[in-house]
Amino acid sequence: MSTHLHQHSSFKQYFLNLFHAIYTTVKGMYITFSYVWGVKVVSIEYPEVREVLPARARMRLFNDAENCISCTQCAMACPVDCIYIASEKMPEGAEIKKTTSGSPIRLLLTQFTIDTALCCYCGLCTTVCPTECLTHSHDYEFAQYTIDAMKYDYLAPDVRAWRDRIVKA
Amino acid sequence: MQSRWDIGEPEKPTINEETEQLKSELLTLNMGPQHPATHGVLRIEIKTDSEIVAHAIPHLGYLHRCMEKHCENLDYRGVIPFFDRLDYLASMSQEHTYVMAVEKMLGTEVPRRAELIRIIVLEFQRIASHLMAFGTYALDLGAFSPFLYAFQDREEILRFFEELSGARLLYNYIWVGGVWNDLTDDQVEKMKSFLDRFEENTKTYHELVSMNQIFIQRTANVGVMSLQDCFDYGATGPVLRGAGYKWDLRKQAPYSLYSEFDFDVQVGVGEIGQVGDCWNRFIVRMREVGESIKILRQAFDKLEPGSIMGKVPKIIKLPKGEIYMKTECPRGELGVHLVSEDGGKTPYRLKVKSPCFTHTSMLPRVAPGQMIADFVATVGSIDIVLGEVDR
Amino acid sequence: MLNELASLINKNIPSAKAVASIPEDTKLDGSVTVETSSITEVAKFLRSNTEMPFNVLEVISGVDYLEFIEVNYMFAHFDVNNMRRVTLKVKVTDRVNGSVDTICRIYPAANWQERECFDMFGIKFNHHPDHRRILCPDDWEGFPLRKDYIAAKVYNTMELYPENKMNMADRDFIVRQDMIKKAQGEAATKA
Repeated sequence: MSTHLHQHSSFKQYFLNLFHAIYTTVKGMYITFSYVWGVKVVSIEYPEVREVLPARARMRLFNDAENCISCTQCAMACPVDCIYIASEKMPEGAEIKKTTSGSPIRLLLTQFTIDTALCCYCGLCTTVCPTECLTHSHDYEFAQYTIDAMKYDYLAPDVRAWRDRIVKA
Repeated sequence: MQSRWDIGEPEKPTINEETEQLKSELLTLNMGPQHPATHGVLRIEIKTDSEIVAHAIPHLGYLHRCMEKHCENLDYRGVIPFFDRLDYLASMSQEHTYVMAVEKMLGTEVPRRAELIRIIVLEFQRIASHLMAFGTYALDLGAFSPFLYAFQDREEILRFFEELSGARLLYNYIWVGGVWNDLTDDQVEKMKSFLDRFEENTKTYHELVSMNQIFIQRTANVGVMSLQDCFDYGATGPVLRGAGYKWDLRKQAPYSLYSEFDFDVQVGVGEIGQVGDCWNRFIVRMREVGESIKILRQAFDKLEPGSIMGKVPKIIKLPKGEIYMKTECPRGELGVHLVSEDGGKTPYRLKVKSPCFTHTSMLPRVAPGQMIADFVATVGSIDIVLGEVDR
Repeated sequence: MLNELASLINKNIPSAKAVASIPEDTKLDGSVTVETSSITEVAKFLRSNTEMPFNVLEVISGVDYLEFIEVNYMFAHFDVNNMRRVTLKVKVTDRVNGSVDTICRIYPAANWQERECFDMFGIKFNHHPDHRRILCPDDWEGFPLRKDYIAAKVYNTMELYPENKMNMADRDFIVRQDMIKKAQGEAATKA
């Protein structure tokens, strides 16, 4: 602006500048107006139309408690400590179930809670999981009114109901 | 030898002589922390003399998370997500610097395919970051539509990253020893076709903004950071190159596989304005995008099937010692000073040298004597990200 | 290169007592340690000499080793044909009043870097023109990056981790988590 007034040192320069300003602005306007016709709309009308997420998209975590062997590797790998696991010894005489991949479940999982308010969606916990029961689902709409509601208990009785909704096929 | 480096009083800010005679008072004006032109939560306390800036005092720390302290309690793999959050517009580059430091201490061999994928994502990240710089700079100067064009192209790059890593901004994609996921041929084809389209678009951007006379009037000869200032304050990246110095770590000290690639280092030559001004810094970024396209095309040709993960122990333990590793990030040289204890599973100390911090420290030097509108142009031209300044 | 630099410093500034330490492991970085009191002269020498100049100060990084605090100055020479880099170290043993002379009139980049070092480690830099905290608020207590730092419970009437807002069940879990980690770590070291 005023710090380079020397550019207007002569009349000729002044009018040349004026010409350039008008010319380049018209050029820019032409580019902008060329978008009025024939250019596809790129934005998505969100609530009605939803994006198809890539297969690897990392959204809310989901733990399939039936396959969990309570190894606590996910809790150790988590950089923000948002996974709470508690387990007990299997009661005497109980039959030892197996995961879908075939490894025996020797511990009784008593709590598996993830605080999604703390979670940073880095995906480190899912990579260390030996039975691949902890995965990122494709559910990204889970706003809540309170912080406590951001904690998800994956042993809750209603987990099946929303599991079908969020877990990727 | 009497040189200007002898100890003396620091330079006092100059005040306009004419207004000094009028004995006017300096007016204090707070720019930020919530200000659209500060690119985040930076507060700049400006003492103005009518419209002229007499001093500018940046106040940092509004985004300070003491990430360096956090990292001392994390294992070496867990640090990577924290590095994403430093410069959230160029997360890949930040991860890469840290990962390279750990790999060098560990002595890990990274497979060739992993290195090439890294270079592809790094250069895409550079394009995305420079597009953001281009868009927001035009926004700072009052032009709205370039921002939308820039975002449209950036969105496609973010989509590539989402397909690759699963996240749009905070990837955690570059791992110690390699990369997380493999790049498929399908994605490579998509990227190639994007590059062809994008190369056409860059020409539009030059017509729309770089060569626009109004833009030139706002930026040419404004906020000149001379080469001497750049060395004094340790400026790197587009700021140093905009001042006309050919310095790019990818060329001067090639890391990764950059020595195999054929590209130029773009510097400001001052065909408009003078070297070191806002326009030259801006044009260096815009031309670097073209160089990145060159590198990307070569990288696609070099891609060959292979492993994407080197041999890394399950629990990373580094030998006692320290290392300082720096790479060329979109905003300048990012350095990581990593100190480890013997056999420690966590870093003993992790210091991040952020280029934005250095560049912000130059603001008090260039601000005196500028008009406020020019100062906004200067702050925009150094392209700071506050996540990296405050850490 | 470090040995050459150390002998060059010793030749010109005898009081610096520069010692080069080169690690056996070639992957790691070496460094040059100088006397704390002579840092200004050494910096001036590094900037102005003709044999081995360093024109840029990249970063100042403190490291707390509990017995002493180390201040690392990373100097570099930005020259296309002849680039070099060195880590210069000084040691501060006094944890309360420890101080180093400023070099921000030789390398203006040191201005903010020294402020950050003071903010995080509490090392005072003598003759610094603007000796304030930079990232933490001015009235913050303690120096966060020291190893013995304990965060204050209350800052500006704001309570850190107020119990009525914390989920105490979480806390128990974190404690239990730590115990698990400790036990597993011990098991891993035994094995």
